[in-house]
Amino acid sequence: MATQEMTDRIIETDVLVIGGGVGGCPAACKAAEHGLEVALLEKSKIERSGQTGPGLDEIGAYPRDGATVLDLMGRFPGRSSDPNMRYRVIDNMLWALEELERLGVNMRYVDGEYGWMPWNGLHSKDVGPKVQLRVHWQNVKPEMAAAVRKRGVKVFDRTMVVDLLTHNSKVAGATAVNTRTGEFIVFKAKAVVLATGRVSRHYGPDAPPSWKYKMAYNFFAPSMAGDGHAAAYRAGAELTCMEMAGQGPFPRDAMLLQPGQFFQNDGMTGLTLNWKGEELAPHQEMTHYMESQGMLPIYFSIENLPDDFQKRVEVHIADETMIRLKLAEDRGFNPRAHRYHLSLRGVGNGNILVNENFQATLKGVFAIGDCGGAGGGGGSPTAGFLVGDTIHKYVSEAGEPVVDEGQVENQRRAALAPLAVKDVNEGIEPLEMEYTVRSMCEEYGGAIKTEGMLREGLRRLGSLKKDFMPRLMAINPHYLGRCLEARNILDMAVVHLQASLERKETRSRGWGNTFVRFDYPKEDPTYSNKRLCQRLEKGEAVIEIKEVPALKPEYAKESK
Amino acid sequence: MSTAIRIDYRRCNSCRKCYDLCPMDIFIMDEEIKMPRVAYEEECAFCGVCWMECPKRAIDIVYPPSMW
Repeated sequence: MATQEMTDRIIETDVLVIGGGVGGCPAACKAAEHGLEVALLEKSKIERSGQTGPGLDEIGAYPRDGATVLDLMGRFPGRSSDPNMRYRVIDNMLWALEELERLGVNMRYVDGEYGWMPWNGLHSKDVGPKVQLRVHWQNVKPEMAAAVRKRGVKVFDRTMVVDLLTHNSKVAGATAVNTRTGEFIVFKAKAVVLATGRVSRHYGPDAPPSWKYKMAYNFFAPSMAGDGHAAAYRAGAELTCMEMAGQGPFPRDAMLLQPGQFFQNDGMTGLTLNWKGEELAPHQEMTHYMESQGMLPIYFSIENLPDDFQKRVEVHIADETMIRLKLAEDRGFNPRAHRYHLSLRGVGNGNILVNENFQATLKGVFAIGDCGGAGGGGGSPTAGFLVGDTIHKYVSEAGEPVVDEGQVENQRRAALAPLAVKDVNEGIEPLEMEYTVRSMCEEYGGAIKTEGMLREGLRRLGSLKKDFMPRLMAINPHYLGRCLEARNILDMAVVHLQASLERKETRSRGWGNTFVRFDYPKEDPTYSNKRLCQRLEKGEAVIEIKEVPALKPEYAKESK
Repeated sequence: MSTAIRIDYRRCNSCRKCYDLCPMDIFIMDEEIKMPRVAYEEECAFCGVCWMECPKRAIDIVYPPSMW
């Protein structure tokens, strides 16, 4: 069968950006400014999609005010992405700040000035230099979306990636499904930029098991299904640090409010308390508490702050996700006086393995933002601009993409299979599948892992995939999208447990980035400066422990 | 039964913003009443996008016990 007959539409483009958040939008804009044809896939709608859909309150940290790039890199110890890539991101953040303003994104705080805030860092209570940028980013996404559309980028909203197309070990595009119309689309592209955010929706809701009631999510649900990770992995690209796609502390009472706001409140810090009300040193002691769960719960509080600083925290919350203030009020929770219960939730630090130029191990694939290990409100746009600015070099040498028709047919069959399941007694709802994967991950992975439980979890996930996945049922295109997510979530859950089994040690890499094996309670130097890399080879997972590249000498000697 | 996302149809002006923007796509447009309807409430992520974008303040979001 010819490709035309297998698909509803074929789109040819130079660059295909998958994911229209604060990483994907800048990448698409910049590539389009270089005269490239750009298509942007977004499973929601770019005006309010991604982790900053409802807003963001702060960005950091910037290399200014005496803080060097190396200083700031030191603030994120042990992240296992390429340090040269991280160097480039931080080194270009001030440039990206100007670029964002040029796109029409409001970067000013009050009185038309930048809202530079001192940053006490994540590991001490000392007030540091002013390197964090306070932003009113409630409308960052509508502003970015306008810039994307103005530049003639072809935007495909409500369109979800199925899989990447490859030819001769090189990317040739991707297949996708519109989750409102069911349209199956083939994208022929010379280069693909993955910007689909993190992966942690394989972890359970911390709330009561909520399938059939409300599905509880960690962070922003659509950004956490790991669509980009899963598509890259199935296409043969390497993932790294997937054992870290685990859990970290989030204030539960504020409905996923990020604790950064307590610490980076213009140098005025809140309190971290144990259940008896005794103060803990944030981060170090907290991590310790997290590891020994008998000492939980932990609380955050801003009860110690003067009135105007408490008010500032409220504005932080409003800037990031305003609804939280409303929900808190409904529940009689006073954001100023009451203590926020911290609980463990999926945070997702695993990423697609990329080099200094954000290139994945599959040729023609670039990964940015949380997808590629340089995320956050600052890292994602910076990486996006950097890739968008240089991708024309790759595109000009890439040659015409060749679409393998057999591959398209396989992907189409796999993607649309749930629509063909008609027997309601046999068919399985995607949310039930997702809930099952998440509760298995919670039970057999969880915050503290052991070999036996990991093996049992993998066995169960394996049979879930074999016996139940083929019965996944979608009664309409909306549910087909959820089925595709469930497939990605299951694949990433397996990867996460496999990687967790392979890391035989316990390691705290700072806050929200802790890996605990009950059966290997000590840090093992074998894993120092190393990272686990995982890829699919003939359907089998291959995991290797690889050296993290050293910082290049020309970067290492910098100290402006 | 209790619902978490409530639309006040006396206020709604059918502008379709909630339907257009919801990151989880939980709304559908009900062609009979020409107004949005919550079709997939169990998927709601409580991000508040519909609530903050609604020009008529016709949407209320209420904390459900299963999220508490």
